[in-house]
Formats: sequence, C-alpha cells, structure tokens
Amino acid sequence: MESRALRKLVPTDAKALGMIRAAICGFVCCEILLTDFVDLGRLPVTVMRLSGTMKLLPWRLYDALITPNGMLTFKALLLISMLAATAGYLTSATTKAAALLFLFYQGLLRSFGHFNHDEMPLAYILIVLAFTPCADAFSLDSLWRRARTRVGDVVYGYPILLMRSLVGWSYFTSAIIKLRVSGLGYVSPDNLPTLSIMHSLDNLHDTHFKFAFWLPQVRGASTIMVVIVLLWELAFPLAIFSKTARRIILPLGVIFHLATLLLMNLFFPYHLAAYAVFVDWPRVWTRFSGSRLFQRASSPLKKRESLAQTAS
Amino acid sequence: MTANSSSNHDNDSRPGNDRRLLIRYGALTFFLFVPLLISFAFVRNLYPIAASTMMMAGGDLEGGRTYYVLRGETSKGEIIDLPPMDITNALSGRTWSLVAATVANRGFTNSRPHPANLALIASSGGLDKVPPAARLNELLRAWGNIHNSRLSPSSPRYLRAVRLEAFRWEGGSYGNYDRHVQTWRVEL
Repeated sequence: MESRALRKLVPTDAKALGMIRAAICGFVCCEILLTDFVDLGRLPVTVMRLSGTMKLLPWRLYDALITPNGMLTFKALLLISMLAATAGYLTSATTKAAALLFLFYQGLLRSFGHFNHDEMPLAYILIVLAFTPCADAFSLDSLWRRARTRVGDVVYGYPILLMRSLVGWSYFTSAIIKLRVSGLGYVSPDNLPTLSIMHSLDNLHDTHFKFAFWLPQVRGASTIMVVIVLLWELAFPLAIFSKTARRIILPLGVIFHLATLLLMNLFFPYHLAAYAVFVDWPRVWTRFSGSRLFQRASSPLKKRESLAQTAS
Repeated sequence: MTANSSSNHDNDSRPGNDRRLLIRYGALTFFLFVPLLISFAFVRNLYPIAASTMMMAGGDLEGGRTYYVLRGETSKGEIIDLPPMDITNALSGRTWSLVAATVANRGFTNSRPHPANLALIASSGGLDKVPPAARLNELLRAWGNIHNSRLSPSSPRYLRAVRLEAFRWEGGSYGNYDRHVQTWRVEL
C-alpha cells in the first residue's frame, strides 16, 4: 500500500502516528487532572438536559454517577485509560476505552450546558486513534511486546490525513454555516462588537476580560476582522495539503483563539490542541535533538556515560 | 519510548492484512464523515455529531440581552462576586448557558426530563404551571455549599446566602448595559 501522493501530504511512518497519539492523549490527561470532577458531582441532576445519544441511557445511571463518589470513580477510570493510551500501553484496548469515556464525559458536560463544538474534533481524533495501529512505534507496547509494524504509506499516513481532515472540516463548515444562516449580514459592523459585549457582561464565563467594550469605537474595522476570520476558516482545509498554507493558517488560528478569549471570553483549547495532528513530530524531534541547545544540555550526560563505559 | 519500526520488528505486509486495514479505514471514514455531512446539511447538532454552529447567528445590536451575575453574601453581610468557573471548573465555557436554561425551566421542556421534573410537572398541574426558575434554588445552593466546603466557617469569605442577579442590556446602542431585572436569593 504505497502512495507517493500520500507521502507528499503527511508523514507516513509509525513513529509519527505514535507521537500524535501521545500528544493528543497527553493533552486530555492534563485537562482531566486539572478538572475537579467531585464538585461537578455535587450539582443537582435535575438541571441536566440530556443531549443527543445521551438520552439513550437511563436517568438512574446519571443519578448514580452525578455524586462526588461517582464522579471521582469516573475521573479515575478516564484518567487511567487516557494515561495508558498516552504511554501506548495495551493500546488497542485503552485507546478505545479512552475514546468512549471521553465521549461520554463530553456528553455529560453538554447535558449541563450547551452543545459547542470545541472538544469534538479532538473526540473524533481519539476515535480514529482507537481504530488505527497508533502504537506500532513510540509506545510501551512497541518496546515490550515486539509489536508488528506494517509496511506502506497508507497504514500510518491515512489516519493522519483523516485526523487533519476532521480538524479542517470543523473550521470550514463553521464559515459555511455562518454564511448560510446569516448571509452577508454576518459581516455587519455591529456583529463582532455586539457578540463580544454579550459575552463580556456576566461573571459566568471562564474569564472576565472587558476589551469588548472598546470594539464599538472601531466598529468599521470590525467588519474587516470578521471577513478575515471567515476567509481564514474557509481556507483552513488548505492546511491539510500544503506546508506553506500550514505555516500561515495555524499561527493565524492561535491568534484567532487568543482574540476570542480576550474579546469574547470564549476559548477553544481543544481545537488548538488538535493542531498537533498537523505537526510532523519525528522531524521536530530530529531537529530538536540536533540543535545546539539539546547537544549542550545532553553533553554532561554523554560524558558521564562514556566515563562509565571506560571505567567498566 | 521510541522503536525503530523498520528494523527491530517483524514487518507485516500480507495482502489479507492490507485489505482488512483498508476496509477498516473506509468504515472509519464513512462512519465519521457521513453523520457530520448530515449534521452540516441540516445545521443540527445531535450529540456526538457536531455542526459547527457557534456564533452562526451573529450579533444583533437591536436584540438586547439578559445576563446573570452570581454573587455571595458573606456572614458579615458583604456582597462578593462568585464566578462559577472557580466553583465547578468542569463546566468551563458552559456555565452561562446552564444558568440561562435553569432560569428558563428548560430542564422541563426538553424531550426527556428527569423523573423528578416530570413529577413536578404533574404535581403543578401541567408544564405551564411549573413555578418559574423551579430548579434554580437547588443550583445556587449547590454552588454556595461547594464554595463554603473549601473554607473554614470563620473565613471572611464564608457565605450565608447566594444570589443570582439578572440584568438586561436593552440593545439599540452601545450603552446602558445594566438595567436590573430580578434577583434570586438562597439562604445556605
């Protein structure tokens, strides 16, 4: 299953897919560690509005789960599966468990609040990882179990292409839906100031920046900002195919998400974390390990090793 | 944790395995993208399938907006800000919609309400007879109790009550953002 076209688009070796698995699962691990599940378990179940497929499960399950002990147990399960998936230990089982538990957790949160799409591309990436050979390298499984590695570009390259497409889809459809629902009215000079002020009035958002109140003074320029954002979202799929486009689109994404944080008190950290699928991690590692900084930092260790070898 | 994939391990490139993997990748792509396409076509979220609908309607200056501020009353009577993000950080990015939905009794109007909410609808004599913001006190009390559970009773920030204040920005102009609408107060 060789594919020269695929090789041009994405890294196609086992290590690249393994490193993406570690980066994505590692990020989710950190998020879970920093989140207080016990206090979530103290909220009344009666304020929940079950969302989508969450309705298929009985209320008895939620009554039992939304308690301090229930949520602590759930956090432990989610953390163990996600840590094992990060390390690539029993990966076939743990990536599936991690994806399933993460999907359930996100459904639970959406049943309290509203359905936003921040975490969803990352949830889909976890599903892709769960059904692909992402532990054939850069994993404990590959170290301890002499896992078989496969030959061909499609084996490791296609899942990376699929994950990139899922992230690109999220941005691209976001722009199209805005234009479908609001038409060209979306670029009205009042759109950005009004939206930003709406999200800066209360104390229920995660942050309480007040930069939004400065936007009416630059009302005209806000149209240009909205047009740039729409064009950037429409162009996002180019990041799947072109390295040059990636170099422009991904940094713009970081700026966009920081701007929404400062102006609207809304932040999409999971979308930013999903940018990890656009990074050629083995190449980054090779460059980093070849850098002077790394050489200097590792030289005492190397000296010690050579001394030990000489002594023995 | 690295392993040299081409030299240290057995390579597995049998045609049967290749075919199985291709079928698996095809199925994965189908089951991910077909629901996403449908969700996009109908601009409808059905968990876990997301249409990227955030901010799709844009801001309407004429529309106005009701918003909420959570505050606490300390044992000395001082009013302090009580950002829910500091209390239940798991609901990051969602607290504002939780509060608005609880005030609007949306837990009673969705397609599958909690059995306790169904019982309240029945005992009230119908959905339209359910008291306004029927579950809000439970939510405010829960937040107040979580806040207090982290403090000693002698702390100056220990709360005796939690209040939710509703304000309205009438819209039409960039000003007059804080017309007071209503306050709900719960003793702890």
